[in-house]
Amino acid sequence: MYLSKRKLTAEYVKKAVVVSTVFLIVIFAGIFLAFWSIQILQNEKYSRLAIKNITRLIELPAPRGLIVDRHGTVLAENKINFTLYLVRENVENLEKTIKMASFFSGKNAATVRQIIGKYKKYATFYRVPIKSNLSRSTVIFIQSRQDEFPEFEIGMEPSRTYPLADHAAHVLGQISEISEVELNAGSAATYGIGDLIGRSGIEKQYEQFLKGTKGSQTVIKNNVERIQRVSSEITPAIGDTVVLTLDLQLQEFIENLLGAENGAVGVLDLKTGGVLALVSKPEFNPEIFSREMGWEEWQAISNDPQKPLQDKFLQGIYSPGSVFKIIMALAGLQEKIITPASTVHCSGSQVFYDRVFHCWNPGGHGTVNLFSALQNSCNIYFYNLGKKLDIDTIARYARLMGLGSQSGIDLPNEKSGLVPDSAWKMNVFHQRWFPGETISVAIGHGSLNVTPVQMLKLIATVALRGQMPKLHLLQRIEKQGRTVSEFAPEFLRVPIAEENFELVIEGLFRVVNSEGTGWAAKMQGLDICGKTGTSQIIAKENPRYKKLTREKKFMPHSWFVSFAPRKNPRLAMVVLVEIGGDAGAIAAPLAAQIYNKYFENERLF
Amino acid sequence: MKDYFKYFDKLTFVLLLLLTVIGIFLIYSAGHSTQGIYYLKQTAWLVFSLLVFFIVFSLKIDFIFRKAFAVYLALLVILALQIVIGGTVARTKSWFRLWGIGFQFSEFVKIPLALYLAKILTQIEVIGAKVFIKVLTIIVVPVALIVLQPDMGVSFILCSFVPLVILLKKIKPSLLVVSLLLVVLSGIVGWYSVLKPYQKNRIISFLHPSEYRTSTGYHVIQSKIAIGSGGLGGKGYLKGSQSKYQFLPARHTDFIASVIGEEFGFINTSILFFIFFLVLYRQFKFNFQNDEEFYFIYLFNGLILFQFVINVSMAVGFFPILGISLPFVSYGGSSLLSFFIGEALIFRIKINNYLT
Repeated sequence: MYLSKRKLTAEYVKKAVVVSTVFLIVIFAGIFLAFWSIQILQNEKYSRLAIKNITRLIELPAPRGLIVDRHGTVLAENKINFTLYLVRENVENLEKTIKMASFFSGKNAATVRQIIGKYKKYATFYRVPIKSNLSRSTVIFIQSRQDEFPEFEIGMEPSRTYPLADHAAHVLGQISEISEVELNAGSAATYGIGDLIGRSGIEKQYEQFLKGTKGSQTVIKNNVERIQRVSSEITPAIGDTVVLTLDLQLQEFIENLLGAENGAVGVLDLKTGGVLALVSKPEFNPEIFSREMGWEEWQAISNDPQKPLQDKFLQGIYSPGSVFKIIMALAGLQEKIITPASTVHCSGSQVFYDRVFHCWNPGGHGTVNLFSALQNSCNIYFYNLGKKLDIDTIARYARLMGLGSQSGIDLPNEKSGLVPDSAWKMNVFHQRWFPGETISVAIGHGSLNVTPVQMLKLIATVALRGQMPKLHLLQRIEKQGRTVSEFAPEFLRVPIAEENFELVIEGLFRVVNSEGTGWAAKMQGLDICGKTGTSQIIAKENPRYKKLTREKKFMPHSWFVSFAPRKNPRLAMVVLVEIGGDAGAIAAPLAAQIYNKYFENERLF
Repeated sequence: MKDYFKYFDKLTFVLLLLLTVIGIFLIYSAGHSTQGIYYLKQTAWLVFSLLVFFIVFSLKIDFIFRKAFAVYLALLVILALQIVIGGTVARTKSWFRLWGIGFQFSEFVKIPLALYLAKILTQIEVIGAKVFIKVLTIIVVPVALIVLQPDMGVSFILCSFVPLVILLKKIKPSLLVVSLLLVVLSGIVGWYSVLKPYQKNRIISFLHPSEYRTSTGYHVIQSKIAIGSGGLGGKGYLKGSQSKYQFLPARHTDFIASVIGEEFGFINTSILFFIFFLVLYRQFKFNFQNDEEFYFIYLFNGLILFQFVINVSMAVGFFPILGISLPFVSYGGSSLLSFFIGEALIFRIKINNYLT
């Protein structure tokens, strides 16, 4: 026998059994408790982690709502943007794939190689975007021969498009991708990386209605992020349709009418305060912001001296020139400084505070009253009125008529302009107001600054005899064809007597219809009332004034504000032509053509 | 023959079979999402292991103990040859292909080693310096060879014989101090010369799992998520997301306990552990005729217990990941075969006692 006989004592064996049994019980109890702790006590935590492991929420972008004009013409809509993707794991022959990718995208092989290189760190099933805005024919070609190109995938993303190219571009505004800064600043709750957001115009103003509600997809993925299946899906809801008061036909007509001229035109429906046309020239195509733009292209647009991106209607700052005489007249009448019977003699110039002030007409207008002063835009009459009214009273009336503050039109980024007064001068220049400055302000010059939209509001308020309309572009918001909210017209009474407006309107009627400065706007069968204005770029006092203003770029801007008809007015309008020269000759006839266009259908009956 | 059947420990045998069959079902689940066929291989290994079980069971115990040292030496030679010639399967040299079947010889060392250690323990009263060196040598030589394979898991498990030997015999206190020093020393030497960077990472990440969330600590975290999300009743067979979507690493081998934890829940996992408990409890209580038999059973059962505890502790993050499988349950033919051979010897020892 190799083995030895049993010698171990029963005691030893018993001890071994007891020790090993105790050992077993202790160990198994420990393991039991460890599993109890993890599986029962911490079950909730680990279940959550397990679900987090396998699920991923994929956001489905919502198509943006449409923007349409009052007749339903689509101004902004969505199209599908096709993107070519390359999936590296499906590549058989890299060289051949790069050649094909280069062919499809029009990019050269080195560029394609560089793009693929950027995604080296990602998993091989990750979709590498090669080119966006793929042409329809390329899409069809690849999709019809998908078997031959398993490594290529076509992705579809909604993108914004403005079917009428650059019409009403400033009204519609722009959209662009939300920035990381904005996301960090708290927009992360409603926006995510890559989302588009309205930047200006209606796109910005009605962002909350247009953006729609994002959908989502919960997918099950494995440890290397590969998607296994879709577990649930919430379909995205398209944004609401924003119906504008804009009349695209009129808008287009005005845009074409202005041609190469720069400036701004606004047409208002006086019954509702709705804007029928809002033109800012030059125009730009808002689509440039929804696609990739090269550096040079951006530089060219943003450095263009004609400022195509600026909405001159809201952001252009001009001196009102003689248009301001409307406010002067209202202030004089309301303050009882003047009556229609008060007269002033105009000899072409007059000395105020030891300085000579000129009328635009060197020959003088002779004896002028309120009506003829407005009709011929006599400076001398208003210099005298300005002298009698102090600057703070003038400023008060200017503000009552909407100057110096935003008009409140439903468009973002509006400028306020400036109404100077003694307090303003003290604040800014720490100087008291000199009476001589009031004389310049009286004819709309000096530090006075306005925007075209303020001028439109001013003339609308005059037309409505002191009822100041709330200007708006929004007609209604529709959700799946049903109106969910509609703009209700709002008017605010200005504390100036109605009869004073009637007196000023008489003057404005004569401007157009009695051989006044706005004679060129006169139309058969329509009582147009208006006021011209010339906004100096070079001060008249400049010794080289005469010489310089012969050059186009120093010519003054020309204003024409108007409304029609005189009784029960329906339309108010502002026309501003930059460096247009003589207001009566340039801006007024444009207004006439716009009235003609608007009323031509009615006159056929 | 009738007596053989009468005294054969049928309950323990059925429990062992049960563990292996549960294992095969778990291996199927673990490989389900990747079309793995490990469950088929493991089934074949089970059939083969049972065949070998009865062959070994029919051999005389005296004969087996007599040949143990020779088998031990033969295995050392094979392991050494593997290192020199080296087939490379799964980055390690521990596999050896024989008739198209992959054998992992390191797994077999534990049986002749346990048998030979049992013989040594029988021959002495107290562990003296000479015997201690001898014991250490016969353990360290295969451990070193297996470390070079490299197979940390198996070599670590073999080291469990050292504390087991000390527990079974009286030892001089001075030697106890020496052995503790040796543990520290081997730890230092191992850290700086033997362990590969990835193995060190596993140990570091065990100490600071949250800092290694995405790298090595990832395995432990995923295992805990699997077990923890199983809850009381589990997610259902083949429905464990951690396993199905491959978040769980080495699901069919080292982390098989996490699969059962996830898919079958706390109650069923506890039942599996209770089966282990029953098997070990029953195998620790026996009668014997030769002292060698006593020592062998304690050494071998001790090793199973040790391996079981380490594997389960790994799954719940109580122990660094060393690539140690769950006895009888994890995929691994050589491991299964060696455990069945060891069990065959225990069954034989127990039945001998009734038959004489």
